[in-house]
Amino acid sequence: MQPGIDWAAVQAAAAWRLVVPRTPMRGRVGERLGAGTGSSLEFQDHRPYVPGDDLRHVDWKAFARSEVLSIRLYREEIAPRIDLVIDRSRSMVATELKQRAYGELVALLASASTSMSADTRLVTSAAAPPIPLHRPDEVQRFLDCDATSGAMEELGLQLRRQSMRVAVSDFLFPHDPDTIVGRLARDGASLAIIQLTTRDEAEPDVEGGRRLVDVEGRGELDVTIDARTVAEYRARFNRLRQGLSRAARRTGATFVHLMAGATPRQVARVLADAGILEPR
Amino acid sequence: MTFAAPLGLLALLAIPAIVAIHLLRRRFPVRPIAGLFLWQAAHDVPDGGRRIDKLPWTTSLLLECLAALALALIVSGATLAPSASSEHLVVLLDDSVSMTAIDSRGESPRARVVARVRDEINRIGPRGRITLVRSGERPALIAGPAAFGAEAESALAAWMPLARQHSLAAGLRLSRELAGDSGSLLILSDRQSDGTTERIVPGEIWAAAGIPLANIGIVDAHRSVNADTKQGALSLTVRNYSDAPAKRVLRVTVVGRPFKGANGASDTEILVRNVDVPAGTSSISIPLPAATPPVRASLSDDALVSDNAVVMVEPQPQIVAVDDRLKDGRGKAALEKAIGALAGVIPGSPGHLAFLDSSDVASGSSRTNGANLASGFSGTNGPPAPGVWQARFGRPAPLLAGDGTPEDFIGPFVLEKRHPLLQGVTLGGVVWTGVFPLSPGAVHPLASGGDRALIGTLAPTATAADPTFLFNLDLERTNLIRSPDWPILISNLVEMRRRELPGPERWNYRVGEWVRIRFDSQPARPLHLRMGTFERDLPGTRLVEFVAPAPGGLAKILEGDQLRYEIGINPLDESEGDLRRARTESIGKFDDARRERAIESGAAFDPIFWLLLAVCTAAMFCNWWLLSPRRVPARRSHSEGGRA
Repeated sequence: MQPGIDWAAVQAAAAWRLVVPRTPMRGRVGERLGAGTGSSLEFQDHRPYVPGDDLRHVDWKAFARSEVLSIRLYREEIAPRIDLVIDRSRSMVATELKQRAYGELVALLASASTSMSADTRLVTSAAAPPIPLHRPDEVQRFLDCDATSGAMEELGLQLRRQSMRVAVSDFLFPHDPDTIVGRLARDGASLAIIQLTTRDEAEPDVEGGRRLVDVEGRGELDVTIDARTVAEYRARFNRLRQGLSRAARRTGATFVHLMAGATPRQVARVLADAGILEPR
Repeated sequence: MTFAAPLGLLALLAIPAIVAIHLLRRRFPVRPIAGLFLWQAAHDVPDGGRRIDKLPWTTSLLLECLAALALALIVSGATLAPSASSEHLVVLLDDSVSMTAIDSRGESPRARVVARVRDEINRIGPRGRITLVRSGERPALIAGPAAFGAEAESALAAWMPLARQHSLAAGLRLSRELAGDSGSLLILSDRQSDGTTERIVPGEIWAAAGIPLANIGIVDAHRSVNADTKQGALSLTVRNYSDAPAKRVLRVTVVGRPFKGANGASDTEILVRNVDVPAGTSSISIPLPAATPPVRASLSDDALVSDNAVVMVEPQPQIVAVDDRLKDGRGKAALEKAIGALAGVIPGSPGHLAFLDSSDVASGSSRTNGANLASGFSGTNGPPAPGVWQARFGRPAPLLAGDGTPEDFIGPFVLEKRHPLLQGVTLGGVVWTGVFPLSPGAVHPLASGGDRALIGTLAPTATAADPTFLFNLDLERTNLIRSPDWPILISNLVEMRRRELPGPERWNYRVGEWVRIRFDSQPARPLHLRMGTFERDLPGTRLVEFVAPAPGGLAKILEGDQLRYEIGINPLDESEGDLRRARTESIGKFDDARRERAIESGAAFDPIFWLLLAVCTAAMFCNWWLLSPRRVPARRSHSEGGRA
């Protein structure tokens, strides 16, 4: 049962949009400057006239100065490609709080993507084709997290070249951060990595004896959660987080760690601070 | 604190066992997590046995130890009462109907006995145990053994003495066995002990709570109908148990249904009249029209109500139809003469009983080879139908006969005295003539002379299941038909057949007598006995036997909802009606040493028991709740905070 997403809060936070990278990118004809030559008003270069060129693009002022026919070239305008990579493993819904936070985060990102006339697709696994996203509420159909592994762990995700990529996961699975970040960033225009965990997952407290059962069926363990164990766990979790952060920096990606429990507005502000969102 | 069962303290060994389990195998609450790999480098807890860590004093451990302690104390019978003992009192209650006699103050011995038992229950206290035994030919427990006072109180309230006069000896034996070495025995009756079989021993009390009273009761009743005059009669034998004559009102009413009496009134009341009852025994005869339904004759009330009324059902005679197929001669004439002297016998064909010449039966093999009996007759009147008993006279059929010539016997004769056919038969001075040798095993001999069977029964077969008697006798030459044994023999045969006819053996019974009812076929639906509000199931067989239950009345035998027979059941107990022998006295005293030997008892009704039980239950429930897997995620979700 999906806990209800606070769509009102998500809509209120929809005054944000994804930050488009300054580097040129690819995409369909749209309203963002692309890497190639196009028909925008932004001048890009000159080149000599060749028969067949549109006479309207001849730079007559330059011809007057130099008596050489030259053509004015303008930057193309494109609609950016956005690939939202989401983790649909069971760990994302380990608690109701995390499930709600996960749903609202994905809805916020979907809202920020669709509000900028982008070609947005939802990537959930390597096996399933990416799903075009036209409205934010369409993500609700993909928030049932019952897989035993997430998309981040899979090879061959169908990511588009020069697309803006946003990956959402808790990254609580054994991995090499450089490998996984490099895979997500390859041939992309930009990459934002958002790690979502609960407070107990990031900063557990002393609880005494517990039988820990992995929700993704990776085994169970009897552990006495004392101060020493907690300290060791926190150190291990911090190393995992810092590994992701370092790998993101190496590839020019953005990394942010979120804890479940914040409102969509607070989440949007944190993402804006990290350079993932910007005001419209 | 004392312990009723100190060995129960061995259950305390469960506590170190629980501690050991917690040491060696911890049962942690389940917590679902993501990212187990981050914990796996932590200190794993061994499954058990490898290392003993410091014992974690968890809530679960404490609750389990608390539950084990409470259980151990319950098992050991812990009580806060110092030197608590529980006395076991066995009470033998006289169940005879005279216990219900009402005296001038409106009290009965039963009421006084119940009050006495209640006093005893109060005396032995809430920890005391009591066993109530109801006397009778077959004594029975009505509370216990070793019941608590509350149980005995409820059993006493439902106890109503209804039994006929009987000795308390059987009840005494059962009560003494129940009392054993530690129990005390109290006998409560309305009369004295007979001093022989009912003699009490030291340590027992015989308390009589009766008061001598005058009483008048019906001690015998008979209802008959004259088949010739179609006139019935009800005869009552009334006993006045006093020295003075008395007057009573006799009332005769129809039971169960309206009846149009002789006076034309459609009232159920047939007769009301004042009768003088002299001291001693007297008789009252009341004429009744034939076919009068069951009637209730009652005398006006006195001390003992139960012997003031009887319900009598008009007997339906069991008529035996006899088919006489003997050849004319001395034998046939003697048979007709013997049958003519019997009541309830009519000629009829096919009838219930057929007298045949063996020579008319073409082949005795009809029984042995399974052929239809019908094919074996050459008589002009046709064969007896199924359900017809046969008595064959004369030369046996060839398959039954052996080799040899017929002989005459003058004795000695060997008779099967236990067989009802030969009861009262002596064959003294009888010359048994024309005895043919029979093939071995052809008949089961009932009377023999020398090595030859004189009377025998043929074994039933699948096609001829009805009894057949073979009289290996030449009726024309024997002097049996002139001897006293001949009518006895024929009467026995007819009565045997009469007893096998469908219907009750009798129509009116005393309480406690065996009732036998034979059905013409296997009942298709369940049989019930209904007597007023009393109802019980009966075995669904052709022959139904049961003991006439108290307190009596009009008993209806039902097959499903269909009424099959009505019979009258009445107390008619001459001894119980004599209330002059009732006494109020108490003999004997309890053995104090025996009373101090408390029986082992549990801790029920002891507050400490319920406290321990509550503690144990609460501890187990809390432990279950603590360890419940469903509880862990719920708690965690509340503890999670929010921070982006």
